Amino acid sequence: MLPKKITLNLFSIILLIALMLSACAPAATPAVNSGDVPETGDTIVIGVYEPMTGSQAAGGQQTMQGVNLAYEQKGTVLGRPIKMVLVDNRSDKAESATAMTRLIEYEKAVAIVGSYGSSNSMAGGEVSEAAGIPVMGCSPTNPLVTEGKQFYFRACFIDPFQGRVMAKYAFEKDIKKIAIIKNISQDYSVGLAAFFRTSWKELTGSEDGIVADVNYQDGDQDFTAQLGAIKDAEAIYAPGYFGDAALLMKQAREMGFKGLFMGSDAWEAPELISIGGSAAEGAVFSSHYSAEAATTAASKPFVDAFTAKYNETPSAMAALGYDAYMLVVDAIERANSADPKAIRDAMAATKDYQGVTGSITINETGDAVKDAVVLEVKDGMFKYLSTVKP
Amino acid sequence: MKISRNTLLTLGALIIFAGFLYVAQNMFNTYILRIINLCAIYSIFAITFNLIYGYTGQFSLGHAGFAAVGAYVAALLTMSAQQKEANFFLTPIVPALATMQWPFLFAIIAAGLLAALVGSLIAWPALRLRGDYLAIATLGFSEIIRVLLVNMQPVTNGALGLKGIPPYTNLFWSWGCVVITLFVIKRLTNTSYGRALRAIRDDEVAAEALGVQLARHKLMAFAVSAFFVGVAGALMANLISTIDPKVFLFFLTYQIVGITVMGGMGSLTGSTIAACLYTIFLEVLRPIESPFTIGNLHVPGVPGMRMVLFSILLLIVILFYRHGLMGTREFSWDRLFEFFRGKKKASPLTNSEGEQE
Repeated sequence: MLPKKITLNLFSIILLIALMLSACAPAATPAVNSGDVPETGDTIVIGVYEPMTGSQAAGGQQTMQGVNLAYEQKGTVLGRPIKMVLVDNRSDKAESATAMTRLIEYEKAVAIVGSYGSSNSMAGGEVSEAAGIPVMGCSPTNPLVTEGKQFYFRACFIDPFQGRVMAKYAFEKDIKKIAIIKNISQDYSVGLAAFFRTSWKELTGSEDGIVADVNYQDGDQDFTAQLGAIKDAEAIYAPGYFGDAALLMKQAREMGFKGLFMGSDAWEAPELISIGGSAAEGAVFSSHYSAEAATTAASKPFVDAFTAKYNETPSAMAALGYDAYMLVVDAIERANSADPKAIRDAMAATKDYQGVTGSITINETGDAVKDAVVLEVKDGMFKYLSTVKP
Repeated sequence: MKISRNTLLTLGALIIFAGFLYVAQNMFNTYILRIINLCAIYSIFAITFNLIYGYTGQFSLGHAGFAAVGAYVAALLTMSAQQKEANFFLTPIVPALATMQWPFLFAIIAAGLLAALVGSLIAWPALRLRGDYLAIATLGFSEIIRVLLVNMQPVTNGALGLKGIPPYTNLFWSWGCVVITLFVIKRLTNTSYGRALRAIRDDEVAAEALGVQLARHKLMAFAVSAFFVGVAGALMANLISTIDPKVFLFFLTYQIVGITVMGGMGSLTGSTIAACLYTIFLEVLRPIESPFTIGNLHVPGVPGMRMVLFSILLLIVILFYRHGLMGTREFSWDRLFEFFRGKKKASPLTNSEGEQE
């Protein structure tokens, strides 16, 4: 152990620094009356909070590719420069709430983009709602995110719609018996499975077609028990993340399952094919967007610009990140003001906005009403299959 | 004479501190307030971990589980009926809980009590284990609690989590709870129970030979610790106003262990200081994640940079200050006076009262 004096001195130095820091912090951030235009000179601050580290970092980084591209293309609004501030929320709820407060109080953001992961968005949403700052979510699909919120919107469709898309697909393919295998520890998976079931009941008039509904947990590698329970199902609906789905498909084929695999937007990752291999061939899933089926005039230039910048085809998350940022800028333009309340009203009134992921209209609950696409794995690639209207 | 001086000083410090909280609550913006509140919550986590590990020597990794119990109890007891209905849109909530709404104080107490109950239940079978085995067993229990939360959909809403929990937590609640926690645990460690706990930490066999009832004392340490962890969980739920089982992953326990090690095993003051430093540093270090320029060197923004820096700090503490910031020492007025007078008395364990912040 070090001599006591040195330890004590060092300790007092650390304390002193901490005190200084905590003393500086409040002075640098005078309180702003909500409703006033924050005094940030000429620049308009748009905050972004995304999981750049932690368990959801992959999704957050994909989203940021799109947001960064959008920021490069559209760096000014109303003749004033935009300052985009990214704050990492570490895929953590407490951190998301803090990140949101930081953007609002410290960075003086007038509007905010984010976040990947519904649980992060729900934590941030409570803060933005209290502060009266509008938020445009990129890809949180849980209905609870915008439920009861005046200031939270999103550029993506919500899980009930996505569940319906696949139920409809199966129904039209004349599939009679379906097994649901869901990840019970992911809100996303639980929600989708429930909405699939509801839609299936609406379409067929009964739940008899669902021959099994089994669960697995985060981190499970072995799905043989779940697959043993699927009986004579013709298709498996497994709305979970791509890693789980790939393993599940492999093991199902090994066990002799011949039917169809159906999934959701979280399947769209190269790993689905690299891990799933030949077992993934023929699998279909719903997603937000396909680079192949450029639905609007904005899609093609976006894909080109994205490919030029990053040398890869844009993922759905990147496209949604791009759209979310552009929707915010569009709302500021239409509001013709940087006042958060005015931006909020303009956002709520968004109608037929031609985004790269399709034509976007914000409905009364703050959710985007837009088309979904169905993709199929074919020859080791994601191929566009069809578009489903809302 | 001397004791009364210290008590007076403590009371004075508490009053000044309360005044500071009052000013802070009304003057500071929500960003600063949120950080100060988080400081308090992490302080309670670290202090209670110190009671189990620093004082009793039981390496328990069940904190995240206890916190989860507290958070869910408080959330379910404080949410309004409408919020619950909106939250449980997939699986309806059990009727008994649907309209239940308690004042925050009772919700906190209930959260603590239930967490203490769970803590005792876990301690019961785990008491037979020592060292690493205890750590693994408690870690397992903590995971079991999380898995239960995921699967008990009619009660916890499963993986969907709860949102719209009333944001009751303010500085008075959070720091009030810290002061109470410090007071109770400090008092406890000064009694014969506390000495028995330390005897267990130093040598279980010797302690038993001296007549210390191992099971009873360990159980008490677990229950008291779990109670306050539950309280901190409740404060956390009502601060973030949304929770789900993933908040209580093992990572939370990691953070708590890290903070406690930094503060010093066996020093409650150290735990509090380290918790505040940890929370404040993580926020203050944020700018290093955005692009900046030093002279001619342009540094691109690297997300996660502050965690790297923080890990380096932790390494330095572990390598060069093996006893943490405070070792087993506590803040005391006597020490403070000695410090200013420049006297250097060798006082191994100062245990006078005079705890604040």
